[in-house]
Amino acid sequence: MSIDGVAPGEPNAGGDWRPMTDVQDSADLTPKLELRGISKTFPGVRALTEVSLSIWSGETHMLLGENGAGKSTLMKVLCGAVSADSGEVLYGGRPVRIASPADARKLGIAVIFQEFSLVPHLDVAHNVFLGRAPRGRIPGITDRSRLYAETRRVLELIGFDVDPRESVHRLGVAHQQMVEIAKALSQNARILVMDEPTAALSDRESERLFAMIAKLKADGVAIIYISHRMAEVFALGDRITVLRDGRRVRTLLPTEASPDELVRLMVGRSVDTTYPRQFRKPGATMLEVRGLSAVSGISGIDLIVREGEIVGLCGLVGSGRTEVARAIFGADKVTSGEVRVFGRIHPGSAEGSARLGMALIPESRKSEGLALIRTVGDNLLLAALPQLFRSGLLWVATGRAAAQRIVAQLGIVTASLRQQALALSGGNQQKIVIGKWLVARSRLFIFDEPTRGIDIGAKAQIFALIDELVAAGAGVLMISSEQSEIVHVCDRAYVMRDKRIVGELQRAQLSEENIVRLGMQQ
Amino acid sequence: MTALPLPTRMRAPGLMVAMVVMLVGFAVASRDFAMPGNVLNIIMQSSVLLLVALPMTFVILTEGLDLSVGAVVSLCSVALAQVALATGSLVMTSAAGVLVGALAGVVNGGLIAYLRIPPFVATLGTLGAAQSLALVLTGGQSVTGLPSNVLFIYGGSILGVPVPILIIVAAYAIMHSLLYYTPFGSFVFALGGNREALTLAGVSWRRMLMAVYVLGGAWAGAAALVLASRLSAGHPTAAIGMEFDAIAAVALGGTSFERGDGWLLGTLLGVAAIGILRNGLNLMAVSSSVQVCCIGILVILAFTLEAFRAPEL
Repeated sequence: MSIDGVAPGEPNAGGDWRPMTDVQDSADLTPKLELRGISKTFPGVRALTEVSLSIWSGETHMLLGENGAGKSTLMKVLCGAVSADSGEVLYGGRPVRIASPADARKLGIAVIFQEFSLVPHLDVAHNVFLGRAPRGRIPGITDRSRLYAETRRVLELIGFDVDPRESVHRLGVAHQQMVEIAKALSQNARILVMDEPTAALSDRESERLFAMIAKLKADGVAIIYISHRMAEVFALGDRITVLRDGRRVRTLLPTEASPDELVRLMVGRSVDTTYPRQFRKPGATMLEVRGLSAVSGISGIDLIVREGEIVGLCGLVGSGRTEVARAIFGADKVTSGEVRVFGRIHPGSAEGSARLGMALIPESRKSEGLALIRTVGDNLLLAALPQLFRSGLLWVATGRAAAQRIVAQLGIVTASLRQQALALSGGNQQKIVIGKWLVARSRLFIFDEPTRGIDIGAKAQIFALIDELVAAGAGVLMISSEQSEIVHVCDRAYVMRDKRIVGELQRAQLSEENIVRLGMQQ
Repeated sequence: MTALPLPTRMRAPGLMVAMVVMLVGFAVASRDFAMPGNVLNIIMQSSVLLLVALPMTFVILTEGLDLSVGAVVSLCSVALAQVALATGSLVMTSAAGVLVGALAGVVNGGLIAYLRIPPFVATLGTLGAAQSLALVLTGGQSVTGLPSNVLFIYGGSILGVPVPILIIVAAYAIMHSLLYYTPFGSFVFALGGNREALTLAGVSWRRMLMAVYVLGGAWAGAAALVLASRLSAGHPTAAIGMEFDAIAAVALGGTSFERGDGWLLGTLLGVAAIGILRNGLNLMAVSSSVQVCCIGILVILAFTLEAFRAPEL
């Protein structure tokens, strides 16, 4: 029986999977949603080729693939934002047309987006019910009391404590992600598509989301879950489908797959997921922070970073990690304490940091790290302009040579230096942000979530790059929410809780358990 | 940079400071300024600007701009004056003004939403076209001799309340409800903040953007009616430069030109600030040419004050 419309001979062990239910009624004999031979071509790119997929009620179907494998396009086809060139969609066995987001919504398909679909200057409630606000008695006027009541109900359901009247732009990334989740859940969806929903969440928030997913599954909701985290894939998935280069490589059961196997399927070659590193004896102290407090709320921060070291800064989202980075860099106002870079007192300004050879690679590449509409070349030269061109005249050839060198050194995949930065993948954008500081000859790097939203292959490259930096004598302070990354990559790590550093772990003590134990409320 | 002790979550603090300074300053400088009659005067004289500035807030919230509004008001005023002379009917006259304005809005919206021409360029083009059309329609002359029912709009009163005051109260109530109490209002914020969110919600952003410009045009027609009534004539260049006052009022009121961040009440206060400034300068016998410069300085000062406020955490 060819369940997923698979060509004969193609391995498809998971295809005969059925959800385990006590009552077998007729609805259980057909998948909730079935995609058959979906293809989509964008100008110049074949995004999807003959992709077939089935999702059953009560199933969590994990979707894996590197960036550019076609996951986002497939998701956009499902939610009606993009229409497929060919192929068909069956809903409960009946062919349906999803030509617009409205069609998808009518079918009960809701999507939790990673690139936030929120309006910054609307409050939480208006965002959750955008385009679906409850109508009041006066025609055309929104029933505000019902709007807020229903929003509160949904927020309570996911255990998310935020004022529905709070404007979304005041919320942090993690909270915005929760609003995004509330938005999808409020639609009473029968099919829920999640694109890396935990990428911005702390472990505790993720736990809550997982509990929510279990509840939805029990109610018979079909879930498509895109993830880059192996632990999640195995903890949540009933079946796993791997996409590569716009094609479905394989659908399999968690029991018949291993993490290494999945990575091999995703990248088509074997990538070591343990990020091999050479740990060296650290050199002289590069960064010394003593008793640092800042207006952002962090207080009494002591830390050092030495030459040749990668030092982790971990803790739950909201524990103050980013604030520490910003205060050290001089982006936030410091109220007490001192920062010494190479023994010299830091002047407390971002320009001063650049002069001292310190670079901050921020969490939100798109808003803080990159000028997206400018070219790759322009972005690479941005931080180095004062150093490269002391005369104040911009020599095009000098600039191009410097940028070209970095493109080659970091293996940035771009058509040319004149390519707009926004056309590049997340991994390549991250390389540009790093490269920009290399041009400026920085030696002390602060990375804030360097691998957020980046696929596994690119992650390994980013870490290899960071390792190269420290091998060449740089010092690195790295913030990460993925504890496994800290454990694999760092020489030492500081753990934060409630805007303070609550512990330091040496290489030998570095384990996820120790980090979690320190970072959690006692 | 030293932070000024301005409340961090207060909107448009620069405007608030400027208002207080102006009110105190003018009250000291001119004996007539704080008189009840003069206060009424300020409100009456600000009515036309408010009718234009309210929809301009919507336009700017969408990360747009309407440079054509002054020319469109002029065009509407001559069109409705001609209809008033021909028919003598207030209903027909008002309808003509609103219709001509809405048509200008359709052109603006079409160029911006469907042909994807940047708002600055598109409305610069319609500015020229509307201004020309107004001059051609009238041969450059004022259309005078408006019937008394049209003059009633600015000069009359109902139950002792001047009609322009009733009009601006109604206009503010309508626009406030539209922005904060209807789905359309949420879409306006989304147009500037995140158009993708609209598409994903199954809403056509093009149609909504079109609606915003048509709304702006229709209100320009209403403003033209009040203006013509005030001048007792339709004049082809009567509202030249009004886009400057309108955009200044919106900016003063704390509406940002990006990301759909804005505040309608701020626009009301911005209009009041400009009205107070012009009135106060009039009382001090400062020429209207110099007044424009003062408005420019006011806008820049208000923004400078804000730049010095402590960052929001």
